[in-house]
Amino acid sequence: MNRPVYLDNAATTPVDPRVAAAMAQCLTAEGVFGNPASASHEYGDAAGTLVEAARAQVAATVGAAPAEVIWTSGATEANNLALFGVAEYYREHGRHIITARTEHKAVLDPCRELERRGWRVTYLTPDGGGRIDPQQVAAALQADTVLVSLMHVNNEIGVIHDIAGIGAVCAQHGSARLHVDAAQSAGKCRVDFAQSGADLMSLSAHKAYGPKGVGALLVSRGNGRARAAVHLRALQFGGGQEQSLRAGTVATHQVVGMGLAFELAGAAVDAEAERLAVLRERLWRGLAALGGVHRNGDAEHSVPQLLNVSFEGVEGESLLAAVRGRLAVSTGSACTSALREPSYVLRALGRDAVLSESSLRFGLGRFTRDSDIDGAVAAVGRAVAHLRRVGGP
Amino acid sequence: MNYNEPTLRYFETAAAAGILTGPQVFRGTAGSRTQGTWVQFDLQVAAGIIQAARFLAFGCPHTIAASAWVAEHAAGQALRAALPESVEGLSERFAVPVEKRGRLLIIEDAWTAAAMAAADAGA
Repeated sequence: MNRPVYLDNAATTPVDPRVAAAMAQCLTAEGVFGNPASASHEYGDAAGTLVEAARAQVAATVGAAPAEVIWTSGATEANNLALFGVAEYYREHGRHIITARTEHKAVLDPCRELERRGWRVTYLTPDGGGRIDPQQVAAALQADTVLVSLMHVNNEIGVIHDIAGIGAVCAQHGSARLHVDAAQSAGKCRVDFAQSGADLMSLSAHKAYGPKGVGALLVSRGNGRARAAVHLRALQFGGGQEQSLRAGTVATHQVVGMGLAFELAGAAVDAEAERLAVLRERLWRGLAALGGVHRNGDAEHSVPQLLNVSFEGVEGESLLAAVRGRLAVSTGSACTSALREPSYVLRALGRDAVLSESSLRFGLGRFTRDSDIDGAVAAVGRAVAHLRRVGGP
Repeated sequence: MNYNEPTLRYFETAAAAGILTGPQVFRGTAGSRTQGTWVQFDLQVAAGIIQAARFLAFGCPHTIAASAWVAEHAAGQALRAALPESVEGLSERFAVPVEKRGRLLIIEDAWTAAAMAAADAGA
């Protein structure tokens, strides 16, 4: 039986077989299973060596120093560590944070929690293409702003923020640190932490053909940079690992997987971006031919692996159901209950409720081929035609 | 979301989708596309008996499947304001989650509007 075409690589990616093989070497008695913090014997030393090698691999891929890489369980934990860690450490300096309405819930929900704890949060509204202008950030900065948190690439529409421009605005302010959620970009497009203007950056392994359950927070040490090192208050305690910022035994197999996944992705990032751009345009042309189709997000400033489209005359849940079995995609909205809500990201862009609710997010990836794109266009075409027939004019 | 077999079958086939035209055709609609659910029934009625029924539905798979089932099973039945199967019966047949049962009321409203139009016309 044929499996559905997988175009949900923005949600997660399959682990690269080379990554899986490297991870497996760290699990069993014959492999490197030691506790990387056990410096008293060779088992621990071997694991520690692999952990540091992986740290160096990740650092090299994203233009960071190895000492700036703090392992976490994923980008969500990294976002939480950045937001709560900065807020708590600098609480005597200020209680104001800036973010955007289109951020991932892993940033928005911590911001809501910080508001409950007494911080003030400004939620910026993007333009119709989904971008935040650096001047919006400049206008929102206050004397006691301690943190600006804006994603590099939006997870629903693929739009790229001008991190360099926003970083320059933060640097000019002086005490506003810039945190960037790079879960959708690191390993998929070129990222240079040192040059980006960011002070903190969240990374995820499983969006880049690594395993789930591991990520990292890059924390600027100010090495050779114009800006001072960033300090954080730890969120968990119990061992002093990761420079006392993230207690707990480092999962050797997970970080080894992330390290190799990032190294492999980094080596091919430009060629892969070029290939995916061609596939995405093939997909867009095929879908646009259906008529009544709207591309969401600023096409000129978006990553090649993501396409978000709304369809006139169809209801979102039915659209997903109609392609199910042939195509694995997601809607633009968080679909966690029986009653789906229109995408808050698309609503923030000014899309009406019906079009916001009838969107599909296509996430292309390393294993996507021409035939997958053609299959997706055919599946969506059948579904849209059926639903428009049933739904009437 | 998972759907039961009847939901998938009627959602995918929707054999009675469409409109009817001509004399003795009565139409009822309910709901709103902007609110996410809209249903329309066309009933062709003669001598108090439904000769044919068609539906249009903008909504979730449960809404489409239940509307399709109602339209398919209407022909040959005596005209009544009530649905050919109760809201509770449709809910059970299509395993409609409790959060979505309000959508079955929209189907009922559309059906009742069409049936009342026919009744008012003495069809």
